[in-house]
Amino acid sequence: MTGDIGVRIRFMGDLRAVIESSDLKLALPKGTSVGTLLKSLAQKYGDPFAKWLFTASGELHHSIVIFVNGENIQDIGGLSANLGEQGDQVEIIMLPMFEGG
Amino acid sequence: MATELVQTTCGMCYVGCGIQVKVENGVAVSIQGDPNNPQNRGNICAKGQAGIMNLYNPHRIKTPLKRTNPEKGLHVDPGWQEISWDEALDTIASKLRAIRDNPKQLYIQGWEITGDSHLWLHSFASAFGTPHFSNNSSPTCGKVIHPVEFFAAGGFHQQPDLHYSNYCILVGTQFGIAARASFNHILRDMADARARGMKLVVVDPIGSFAGSKADQWVPIRPGTDTAFALSLLHVLVNELGIYDAEFLKHKTNAPYLVGPKGLYARDPSSGKPMVYDAADQHTKTYDDPTLIDPAILGGGEGGRPSFALLKEHVAKYPPEKTEEITTIPAATLRQIAKEFGAAACVGATKIIDGVELPYRPVCVDWAKGSQGHKHGFHQCWPLKLINIVLGAVSVPGGILSTGAAGKKPFHWWPEGGTDGLLEKGGNILPLPHPKAFPGRTPTKPVRNDLGELFPLASHYHTLLPLAAEDRQRYGLTYGIEVMLHTPTNSVLGSFGDLKVVERFYRTIPFIAGFAVEINETNLFDDVVLPFPSYLERFDFNAGTATRQLGPCGQDDWFWQVRQPVVDPAPGLRYPQEIIMEIAERVGILDDFYRLLNHTFRLKEPYALEAGHHYSSTDAIDRMSRCWFGEEHDLKWFQKNGVIRYPKDVEESYIGPFLKARLPIYLEHFLQRGEELKDITGQMGLDWDFSDYTPFSEWMPCPSYDAVRKGDYEFFAVHYKLPYTYGSFGNDNPWIDEICEHNRYAYGVLINENVAKAKGFADGEEVWLESPVCKVRVKLKLSQCVHPQVLGIAGHFGHWAPGMPIAKGKGVNFNSLLPTDLEHIDKISTALDHCVEVKLYK
Repeated sequence: MTGDIGVRIRFMGDLRAVIESSDLKLALPKGTSVGTLLKSLAQKYGDPFAKWLFTASGELHHSIVIFVNGENIQDIGGLSANLGEQGDQVEIIMLPMFEGG
Repeated sequence: MATELVQTTCGMCYVGCGIQVKVENGVAVSIQGDPNNPQNRGNICAKGQAGIMNLYNPHRIKTPLKRTNPEKGLHVDPGWQEISWDEALDTIASKLRAIRDNPKQLYIQGWEITGDSHLWLHSFASAFGTPHFSNNSSPTCGKVIHPVEFFAAGGFHQQPDLHYSNYCILVGTQFGIAARASFNHILRDMADARARGMKLVVVDPIGSFAGSKADQWVPIRPGTDTAFALSLLHVLVNELGIYDAEFLKHKTNAPYLVGPKGLYARDPSSGKPMVYDAADQHTKTYDDPTLIDPAILGGGEGGRPSFALLKEHVAKYPPEKTEEITTIPAATLRQIAKEFGAAACVGATKIIDGVELPYRPVCVDWAKGSQGHKHGFHQCWPLKLINIVLGAVSVPGGILSTGAAGKKPFHWWPEGGTDGLLEKGGNILPLPHPKAFPGRTPTKPVRNDLGELFPLASHYHTLLPLAAEDRQRYGLTYGIEVMLHTPTNSVLGSFGDLKVVERFYRTIPFIAGFAVEINETNLFDDVVLPFPSYLERFDFNAGTATRQLGPCGQDDWFWQVRQPVVDPAPGLRYPQEIIMEIAERVGILDDFYRLLNHTFRLKEPYALEAGHHYSSTDAIDRMSRCWFGEEHDLKWFQKNGVIRYPKDVEESYIGPFLKARLPIYLEHFLQRGEELKDITGQMGLDWDFSDYTPFSEWMPCPSYDAVRKGDYEFFAVHYKLPYTYGSFGNDNPWIDEICEHNRYAYGVLINENVAKAKGFADGEEVWLESPVCKVRVKLKLSQCVHPQVLGIAGHFGHWAPGMPIAKGKGVNFNSLLPTDLEHIDKISTALDHCVEVKLYK
């Protein structure tokens, strides 16, 4: 793990309502996990962003989908997935629940 | 004469039956069911056959329109002026670009469940960045069934296993007779089940369709299902001692120990709920590998098993007490409980395809009627609990869960989560499912629909008009500036009191909507976009039968697409292409593709690529090949109609294979309630927390008290007709003819004896008055309605000039409903649908 890398974070879906911005650029230590990134974002933005992101027990809400460079983190280690390269792009999406009736 | 039979999917309701349309010289002349489609097995209902009249409706909109009259109102002429597609889309895009920096000012009413639009608009809303997207329409339907089903079974909806059931109780639903999903094949299954001796009991204030065909119709006072269910549970578990102890011990949270404050006793180090193992007389965590015999009765210092608490709780509801509430005689309730308990065959197994499964050939099914109440969640939950206590969930003969699991073309399966309980519902599409567990932590609202104050609800659009009445009260600093909507008629059917609805729509500066014909919602539009008939368009997601409400049990899983049977009328465009063009004009096309790729599971090389343009057929062809292989492209579906896969035993009966426990005790209701108290306290809101309880209590709807006090004489309730769906197709001469012929459709059902005692005659016109609305109605006397109830069918009462056939006929039930927070279920956001009314000449 050496030096910082520039990471672009994109907010899509419902989260835009509380972030009021679609993009954020952050310098993060190379190898930072997605979980660590999310916790720092939760700290930065506070509630309601944090509550929209995490359940009371600290799990990601099922309505949150996260991609790193286009790959769903569920396929690359979940919250342990690392941000390893300059220019990595993280998309944090909160989708509306599908419904009926 | 050139004649062909074109395979496609019906769009006259949300189900989506497979149909074959006979086309002569380019004109669709008749519709029949596709015999190879597992959804309807060749059957077709009256709605489906009448679809041709919608296709050739002379009042359809075929050109974009703009409003010239700036004044808006329920009965205000918009002063339509035809405009070009370019002007229409440019106007919409410019309004959207104007709120691009604050995208939550957009509200999309996206319920258009017959086709792709709701999923495409779902992605559009997320790409734009608004949380205000509703892919549901009703202020009651779906509010409880989906959240309950996902945490108590794993799928989207429940469905009795008619292949093996021997005793079925329907509460507030006409399943298998006049309504509900998978309509056409379930009618046949219901008939077969009845022919082989299945007993059908219908508990409903209205006995028209289901009640009159049942073995036993049990009229119930509206809004008292909780009392009925708790009383039935009491007789089963306390008087008869019938419950599935093994299932409760190992597949539910029945053994979880509950402490004096109502919370689980938890292991200090892991935080996991504790149980008492009767085998070694030790307390341990629910997932301890040494656990053999978790106790569900008794209790000690560590706490008491939740089932022991449930037994005590339901003992408060003996039939003699609930008779006063429900009007169901105690003897009748005991008779049903005794028969039902005996038929449950607790402990029995059945071998299917070589696999031994629990066999519980009984179930209670409920739907809209139970949901639409001030305490809607708790009207329904104890009904589900009856099935759970008997172990009759997702096993042969019991209650099954639609769309919960599958292995082809993808693998999807419900999973456990928090505290070992079922948390992650099964869904073939990677979209978040609605669920009431564990819920969200409440916060001060950002959303205009106050979703944050309803942490266990799944959809909240019913709150939009209420918040708009006084945004300051909820700390909201903005309003909805732009609304987009599907052809769904929300003004007529998505809310209640029309004065509240009118005020809300007037607050929105710009509204653009799709239209088949100009309905009551379109009267508020600034721009109208014509929408093609289901017989003129392509859809990859054609109806709900394939992924959400399909055949259960051992019936095949299947997929179908929709294709045009005739050329679209000149001037029409496919909705998918319209949405893509708006996305491009707004500058969000690439993000929109990104979300569509996620929604439809499109991977390389089928994914929609940034910077490219696609036709709707391009997109659907990619989806078809991605899901079903290169050989099953769009052309294959156009020729063959449907692809079907047999299900194995695991997929058919997922209960024994679920690696998660089901709830009987809702501990998290206490937790979310406490958190909500904190938030509403900070906001200075006077809030009702009486529903945040781990067990259901019966609590009266406002109408119950109003009638009891004598202020009003009747409860008005709504019921469904088998030949209408919402207000879809109401402006259809064939459907109108059926409604005219069956006088109850446009009339109001009243108990014959009551009517005669009051001097009302059959067919007489009288005034019907609720607290918010007074309408002239025509009475239909019937023996099939509770003496205190008036039954109002369908979604009628149109006034839009663009619907001349339907205009002025029937009653708009929703307009009778008081629409305020006092009439909203604080758990599910359902609007109370039993309303106090009076009748007079």
